[in-house]
Amino acid sequence: MRNSMLIASRELKERWDNRSFRAMLFLGPLLIISLIYLVLESGNQGVTSMKVLIADPTNLFENKIASRPSESVTYYFYDDYIEFESFKNSPKFKEFDALIEINEKVLINKKVFLFHRQEPNLHLKMKLKFEVERRMEEVMIEQFTTLGVDDFRKIKQPLNIDFRNVDDPYNQADQGIAWVGYSLGYLMIFFIAIFGTNITKSINREKINRISEVILASVKGRELMLGKIFGNLIASFLQLFIWLLLVGIGLWVLQAFVIPELFTPEHLSGVQVSDQQLKDLGMQTISQENNNLDLIYHRINYLWVLPNFILFFLGTYWIFASFFTIMGAMSGDESDGQQFLIPIWILLTLTIFAGYNTLSYPDSGLTQFFSVFPWTSGMVSMIKITVGVTVTEYLGILFAWLIQVLVGTMMMLMAARIFKHGILSYSHRLSVKLFFDWLKK
Amino acid sequence: MIEVKNVSKFFSQKKALDEVSLSIEAGRIFGLIGPNGAGKTTLIRILNQIIEPSSGQVLIGGIPLNPLHVKAFGYLPEERGLYREMKVLDHLIFLASIRGLNLQDAQKAAGHWLEKFEIQPWSKKRIDSLSKGMAQKVQFIGSILHDPQVVILDEPLSGFDPLNIQLILNEIKAMKEAGKTVVFSTHNMNSVDEICDEVGLINHGKLVAHDKVSALKTQYKTGAFKVRYKGNQIAFANALWTGFEIVSTEEIGDQWFQSVIRSRQGQSFNDVFSSLSTAIELQLIEEQLLGMQDVFLKLVTDSTP
Repeated sequence: MRNSMLIASRELKERWDNRSFRAMLFLGPLLIISLIYLVLESGNQGVTSMKVLIADPTNLFENKIASRPSESVTYYFYDDYIEFESFKNSPKFKEFDALIEINEKVLINKKVFLFHRQEPNLHLKMKLKFEVERRMEEVMIEQFTTLGVDDFRKIKQPLNIDFRNVDDPYNQADQGIAWVGYSLGYLMIFFIAIFGTNITKSINREKINRISEVILASVKGRELMLGKIFGNLIASFLQLFIWLLLVGIGLWVLQAFVIPELFTPEHLSGVQVSDQQLKDLGMQTISQENNNLDLIYHRINYLWVLPNFILFFLGTYWIFASFFTIMGAMSGDESDGQQFLIPIWILLTLTIFAGYNTLSYPDSGLTQFFSVFPWTSGMVSMIKITVGVTVTEYLGILFAWLIQVLVGTMMMLMAARIFKHGILSYSHRLSVKLFFDWLKK
Repeated sequence: MIEVKNVSKFFSQKKALDEVSLSIEAGRIFGLIGPNGAGKTTLIRILNQIIEPSSGQVLIGGIPLNPLHVKAFGYLPEERGLYREMKVLDHLIFLASIRGLNLQDAQKAAGHWLEKFEIQPWSKKRIDSLSKGMAQKVQFIGSILHDPQVVILDEPLSGFDPLNIQLILNEIKAMKEAGKTVVFSTHNMNSVDEICDEVGLINHGKLVAHDKVSALKTQYKTGAFKVRYKGNQIAFANALWTGFEIVSTEEIGDQWFQSVIRSRQGQSFNDVFSSLSTAIELQLIEEQLLGMQDVFLKLVTDSTP
């Protein structure tokens, strides 16, 4: 064990000494945070204030619109028709940023056009839409009903039909949380792919530079193999830990300093809108983002999810590491190693698919299969655990983990036999016969 | 003492070693020679516990070879390698650590050897930035850093320039003087001649010769003698009776000659001396033995089926 640890620490040091590894420790989280920021900010582009001219030849709005003045929008009324071309080109209208056309047909077709010179940002769009709609409602109530404004709005609320599972009537296991589980599973597979490939490369490199014979004179083959696997495991955990930590800090910085307005309902500047209105306004994205932020900051039970993540990371790494080891030991040169990685990549892709399948059909037979199939069970378990499981279900998941570890151990014993012979074989031609020969010896 | 007893090794259907038995006394330099593919590396790997014999056993001081012996062995393989991206000192410390040295001792030993081989200034450099010669010195140091009792060197001189060859040979001699056992596998027969006490020759997986270097040479006597003398050539020829033939004569100075003669009936050094000593003024009589290169070729030829 001492030797395996020495080899593991050498592997870790080798990773650490690699500039690209060190760079990616910090660049990776920076890219993730930048991506999140871009997604959040993507809906917030465009101008933030406007002078809006309302062409209202029938005086429908009676020169009234917003209940209180605002810094972002200033309305002006014009009591005649304005041709679109005229608004665009006439020096008379040059000072206005946008034109809202309120003609007599509005009450029938309920269609209002806003022509802008520059695209308003999402908040401004919503504010404009909301204030025009609100004023229009008042006009319609006045002209067509005897109802008060509040009663009209009660009637106006659309009916929502919410589809829910009988096993989850309160919709606790919502897709959002399931996607978090899937993302964690994806992250797990991502790291396993990177560091598993490192195992193969490391074995290849030792074969190519012939150091393996020197090492094997001092340590047993399986000690060398386990040292490599542990070393890469520690390196992957280190990177993962630093990534999670830095992404966590980055999210906090985003929330606290960069875009705090997106994290509170008040970012809509006091405008009261329904979900439906938001959707109509194309605000789905920002709403969804707020849900994700709510998920990330409030709804994930990290104390439950993270230990399980580590558990399933270890199990899945263990079973895939044996494959990566076999590939490294079997290969005669580096190009062999690359070719032999294809079957592993297919398995990794299957794992990603298993996760997606679990999201879409959590109770299907295929999902049941994937939940015990050792190469995919880690991913499926992560989704289930994040969503929430009963004690019995959790025991089932632990049983799947046990199967994963046992199959992984059997694979590892097989890998050790292949490794013992393969590590001392250079420039050989690969064959199935060779594989079985080494396995039998 | 290393005892190899009836060791055989099969790779699939191929017999790489066939009932090899030999013993190597402690404190000796043992030359393990043989043509390429003869089985030397297989035997060396067995001694280093990298592979196990299919049958037979190896005893070290009467105890079967086991993992506890790892620390007592140092090994420089022919297909040697380095972690090229590591720094020289880190690499050496790592090798010493897996041979059982603690960090402090490993650092101390590495410092000593780097100094001795005059590569201390490169200790913090990456190995891939070293010249070939320096990298080979690092490899050599790596095999002896933990002060092993048995040092197995497979082609330790290959790639070295003559200066460094002498440096390595001197170190090997120093190891012998320190009581260490050296197993020295090489194709460089001059170095075998120079430093080995005993030689074992493996061919086609079998040990076909195992003896002292001088004994092997004597085994292949040519019957030729080099004679340096002052006097006249006729007296020299007359003094040699019919049992000798003069192969060549060269005048090396005023009345000084050097001749090579060959006995026809296995006459000894004493016979040559008694024949010539009264007829001419002798300066040198030297029996012409085969060099190890020729002994090697003869042994291999004779043992190849």
